[in-house]
Parts: sequence; C-alpha cells; structure tokens
Amino acid sequence: MQNESAEAGDTPPGNVLTSISTAAPNDSSDRPRPRPRARRMTKAKRRNLRLGLMFISPWIVGLVVFIGYPVVYSIALSFTRYSGMGAPTWVGAQNYITAFTDPLVAKAASNTLFYAMIAVPLALVIALVLAIAMNQNVREVALYRTIFYAPSLIPAFAMSFIFIVFLNPQFGVFNQIMNVFNEGNVNLLGDPTGVKIAIVMITQFGAGNAALIFLAGLRNVPKTLYEAARVDGAGPLRQFFTITLPLLSPVILFNLITGVSGALQVFTEAYVITNGTGDPDAGALFYMMYLYRNAFGFAELGYASALAVLLFLVGLGLALTIFRFSRRLVNYDVEAS
Amino acid sequence: MIDRRRFLTGAVGSAAAGLGLSSCARIPDAADNVIRYWGMDAANADKDEAVREAYLQTDAGKGVEIHIDQVPVSGAADMSQVITAVRGGTAPDLWWTGRFTTPQAASIGLLEPLDPLIERYEDVSVEEFKQQWIQFAVDEVTYDGQLYGLPTDTDARGLMYNEDVLLDAGIDLDMFDPEQHVLTWDELREASRQITEVDGEGNYTRLGFAPWLHEGWGYTWGFGLGADAYDNDTAAVTLDSPEWKAVYELYADWAEEFGYGKVDVFNATYQPPNAPPSQTAMFSGRLGIQTTGPWQIQANEKYAPDLPLKYTWLPVVDDGDPTYTWSGGFSLAIPTGANITKTLWDYMKFHAGFEGQSIVMPPLGNVPTHLRAIEERKYNPGAEIFRQMLPGSIARPPLPVGQAIWDTLDRGKESVIVGSLTPQEAIETNQAYIEPKMDLFDGYKMPDTYGQPNEVPES
Repeated sequence: MQNESAEAGDTPPGNVLTSISTAAPNDSSDRPRPRPRARRMTKAKRRNLRLGLMFISPWIVGLVVFIGYPVVYSIALSFTRYSGMGAPTWVGAQNYITAFTDPLVAKAASNTLFYAMIAVPLALVIALVLAIAMNQNVREVALYRTIFYAPSLIPAFAMSFIFIVFLNPQFGVFNQIMNVFNEGNVNLLGDPTGVKIAIVMITQFGAGNAALIFLAGLRNVPKTLYEAARVDGAGPLRQFFTITLPLLSPVILFNLITGVSGALQVFTEAYVITNGTGDPDAGALFYMMYLYRNAFGFAELGYASALAVLLFLVGLGLALTIFRFSRRLVNYDVEAS
Repeated sequence: MIDRRRFLTGAVGSAAAGLGLSSCARIPDAADNVIRYWGMDAANADKDEAVREAYLQTDAGKGVEIHIDQVPVSGAADMSQVITAVRGGTAPDLWWTGRFTTPQAASIGLLEPLDPLIERYEDVSVEEFKQQWIQFAVDEVTYDGQLYGLPTDTDARGLMYNEDVLLDAGIDLDMFDPEQHVLTWDELREASRQITEVDGEGNYTRLGFAPWLHEGWGYTWGFGLGADAYDNDTAAVTLDSPEWKAVYELYADWAEEFGYGKVDVFNATYQPPNAPPSQTAMFSGRLGIQTTGPWQIQANEKYAPDLPLKYTWLPVVDDGDPTYTWSGGFSLAIPTGANITKTLWDYMKFHAGFEGQSIVMPPLGNVPTHLRAIEERKYNPGAEIFRQMLPGSIARPPLPVGQAIWDTLDRGKESVIVGSLTPQEAIETNQAYIEPKMDLFDGYKMPDTYGQPNEVPES
C-alpha cells in the first residue's frame, strides 16, 4: 500500500501561482513595453482552432441552448404575464412589484435564508471532517472513503423518505434518542421550525461531494510545511489551524459559494416531505417551492420568472459579497503562508 | 484505422439519427380514426382499458384506434405536462383532468370549448345536452359561459367511523346512524373526548376526531357555515367574511382543546407522510372518526374488509340544521391542438356518458355524475349514502384562480391550528392574497346555477 499522505505533498499547487506572483515584480520596468504586433495565425493554427472549436461544440451548443437561451428568455418573461399558452402580455415591472409585496415571497425567502445559514456552515464543517477522515494514513483508507462518500449517492427523494421513518415520533430512532431528554414524543416534521432543521439534517448526507473537493485540497498541501512545523514544535491542532486551514481557504471559498448557491435552491427534500405544500404553517415553503407553485400550479410563468431573476440576483450578490470579504482570508500562495 | 473526418461525420450523423428517432417515438399518427388519450392514472389503467374495449365492440368503435397513456401528474393543478405537450404539438386528443382546475385551464387557452361540438354533432341544444349530468359537475367545467369538459365521476364528504372503536368508548351507535340522526359539532366533540386515550407520557394512543385532518379542508366546514369564496352579484372575493372567520375559529377551538402538537404526533406516528394506503390510523384502530369520501370504499374493501367502517353526514351546528357537503371529481376535456373529429366526440361521449360511467364507477368507488347511471345504480352499493348527499352538495367555486384560493385557505388553516395567526388575521391574509389575482378577471361571473340544489334521481 502506498503512503498516500506522503504523496500528497509532492506537488504543491501554489508553486505555479507563486511563480506567477513572484515573477510579476521582476517584469516591472520604467519603460513602457512595446505593444506586440498582432500576428496573423498560420494556416495550421487556424485549422487547429477550427478543430478545437468543433470538438467543444457540443458543450458550446449545450450552454447556449440549455442555459443561455433559457436565462435570457426567463428575464424577458419576467416582464410579462404569461401562462405558458398564447402570447405573453407586457406588464413592465409589475411582477417585481408584486414580488416585493407578496407576503409569501418574504416567508419563503426567510425560510430559505434560515436554512442556508444553518445548512451551509454545517455542511462545510462536516465535509472538512469527512475529508480529514478520508485522508488518514491507514491501510483501509479506500474503504473508508467509499463508506463516507456512499450516502452522497442516495437520491435526495429517497433520503427524504428514509428520514420520514427516522423521525417517526413513536418508532423513529431520532425520538428514541430525544426521549432521554424529553417527556412525550415530538414530531419534528410537524413543527414549522423543526421541519427546516430536519431538512438541514437530510441535506448533510450529501456532504461527501464537498468532502471529495476538500480531500483534493488536503492532498495538495505540501508535506514539507508539516515537517517544518513539527520541527518547530507545533502540535496537530496548531498545524491544522496554521497550515491546513489557511491552505484550504480557496477550497473552502469554492465550497462556500457552491453551498450557498445550492442552499438558495433547496427544493426536493421539502417537496417530498410536505407533498409540495410547504406545511406545517408554510414552515417548509422554500423559495424554489413557491416559485415552482406559481409556475406550474397557478400557470403564472411571468411572475415565476421574476422570482427566478430575483433569486439569481440575490445569489450573485451573496457570491460577490463572499468574494469581497474573503479577499484577506483566502490564501492562494503557498510560500506566502 | 478510422480518421478524424470520418469519426466526426459518423458522430454527428448518429446524434442526428438518435434525436430524430427519439422525437418520433410513441406518438401515434393524428389520423381521424386515432384517439390519443391521457387516462386516469396508472392505478386505474384497467378501468380506462375496460371502457376502450367496450367502445371498440360498438358499431361506432369499429376501425377506431385508441392509444391510452397514463401520464403521471406532479401535484394538484400541475398542468406543465399537458402545456408542454400542447406547445410541442404532441397534445393528446382527450385528457382526464380534475374538474376543479378546468376554469383555470380554460382561462389560459389550454382547452377547447365543447359547445361548438355539441352544436355540430348533436340534435339537441347545448342546454339540453348538459342536462344528462348532475348540475354542480357541469357548473364546475363551465368557464365564461362555455362548457370545457364532460363530467365523469364525483364524490361527497362525510364522516367515516369505526363501530368497534365507538362501542369500546361507550358511544351510542344510533347517534351516528345516518338514517336516524345528524351529529352536531357538540356531540361530535363529546364523542371525540370519549374515544381519545392518552399514555403515561401524554401521547395520544387513540384519537376521536380532528377537524383539520384528512378531508377537513376549509371548504368542507365552510359550506356548512355559509362561507362563500366569491360573490357572483358583486363580482368580489369574500374570503374575509364572518363566515370564514367562523371556520377558522372552529379550527382554533378544536386545536386548543386537543392540541395541534399532540394530534400531529399522533398522526405522524400512525399515518406518517407518504405512508402506503394500507397504513392508516383508522385501519389500525387508533382513530375513531375521520372526514372522507366514497373513494375510501375501494381501500376499505381491499385493506380492511373485516373492519366495521360506516359513514354518516358531516356535523351541523344545531340539531335540525340542513345537511351539507361538497363534491369534486374529474372530467374529460380536449386540449388545444387536438385532432377534433366526430370519432373523438363519439368516444368522449361514450366514456363520460352512461356506458363509460357504468363500467368505471362500481370498481372505482365514486359516484357517477351521469344522471341515468345514478338512477340505475351504476356504483358501488357502499357509496349509497354519498349518492344521498348529492342533491344538497356543492362544487368548489369554479373560478380561474381556484387553486390559489384552495392553497391559501389551507395555509390559513395551518397557521391557525399552529397558532401563528388568529382567525381574523388568517382571513385578512387570504383576502389580500387572492384579491389581486382575481382583479385580472374583472367582473367574472360563475354560472347562475352554481350553488343551487341539484336534481338527482332516486336510485
């Protein structure tokens, strides 16, 4: 069996970035550099470019047809009243005005933010712990990786059904544990806050995907840094907070942004558990569920498109905010750490 | 060895062929003798097939091809599949769809009006033709004065009770006998108290009744308390009326006594979400009384044939008050873009008419809407009490925003029983939510016959 932890540090990813960042000052010069003249591509290069574009054309076509066109069409629809039949009717910003006065939009948005604020940080911690467990230098590590990753393969709807049994107030494992502290059974799914907590719990079983990305990050941390830290007398905890965590910060940022994006679109678990109603008391009425209801339950595709655009803008805003606040915290340079 | 040019040409050709083949799959030709029908659902496919076989035996059915697809629906009022099919040019010719959402489907142009077909193919007037079916069912598929579907089955809401549980609790069964008595809300509550049992930790191990469970919708009690969602005379939404407040007060009152949390734990324990139809609190003897309809007969006969499960009227406020209930059900409709032919019309009439309903209703458990089928008792004998309820029954108001009203009424119920809204706040929220949606249909009128007593023949 190879020592995978030892291998992990052989090729620090930061080297390339470091070489780029350290090379930059050397290029600085008082004289303005002459602008390179545009050179015509050779026949061979043009042919290669054409072939390259042809090879990636399925992806380009897919992007334009299945993402680009729907996004643009959705933005256009958001200014109309449209049922899916007939021609859309222009209503200007009316759908957006309605969205800001619709109490259910506020309710759905607050439910979604509540979910995201708990689920995303929790998922990061769980994924990181899983990744560290997957990165241990033991013989059976491949087996452990499989076991830790396996729950991520269970479809969300199947996991939701499993949780309904798991949370059964009388027979469920959860209540058997809770009964040690409580008197009387509790139905987590029957409480407007409890149902959100339950959905947070369900979605944590998908942490294996983020854990794999963390694992890749962990394996790229240079081993020499740990050796140097050990020589300086740093213990495992100190090594984790001063080496592992800073060098994982780009991966944490990536998982944070994709996690926030996923959390804003939470849907399947709530739909299965509540049969699409969002009950009890709209406690599980998440933004995407309300959007879906408007689009396909009330045939208000224009309004649903406006809700989708608003969600996109909020997601974009959150991503930009995270980027802005993470500038000082995220470390792309191994040597600088 | 294959070169790059051949590889690319082959790959593009294969992809095009694959796309072409898949887009052609399973779509029968739209010939005049072909009917493409989206049926009831997979569980009732046998009933659709039985009607088809019967039709093919008739003279009119000779040479006709009827292709049945059971297209799953994602949820109540979700019409995305049929909208997609219509937009994609693959719409079925005939569609089994809920009557309640027919006005909404018609309002967006998803359905073909049937009045021109009646005028073209029938020897009688439209009004005379419609008289074959029970009035409330016809009202429900009427939008803007035109008929958009032929009603098929119907139902009614009543109380189902387990005689064993009631006897065990010391309750006089005569009080529940529909021939002798109509329960009042006070009597029902007292019976519920007698039936309910609690364990050492305060959990319900047996429950009498909870008005918000099962078919205890806002409309169920609202129709008994005189609540209307829409005033036809003033063309106004009336979800903030005192009658609706009384409905929510009823929920709040029961929730206060029996406790939403405790009832919820009971329900989640013995009848969890998405449980199989065989796993109910009623079948396990844990629940004494519930609100249900004739569709329950099929499940009772299948999963609990030995349980003494009986039906009675919904509770009234005071002794002697008139009985009430409401009815839903399905219809056959023609989506926009269908291949409309005399063959299609004949089959539609057969399926939704006396012959089709005579085949479908007895095994389905529901009650026919076709008056001759009712008269000739073409339904499960166990559904007789629901047939007796039909003259006073009412459909949910046929409005183009019907589904949104349904949703908000249900959300209000949840809020009140959980305690996050008072009844007054609930009705104000409902009114504020629906009024702007209904404003888009300024001056809308439901059929004049809506809410009137129905003429139902004695069987």
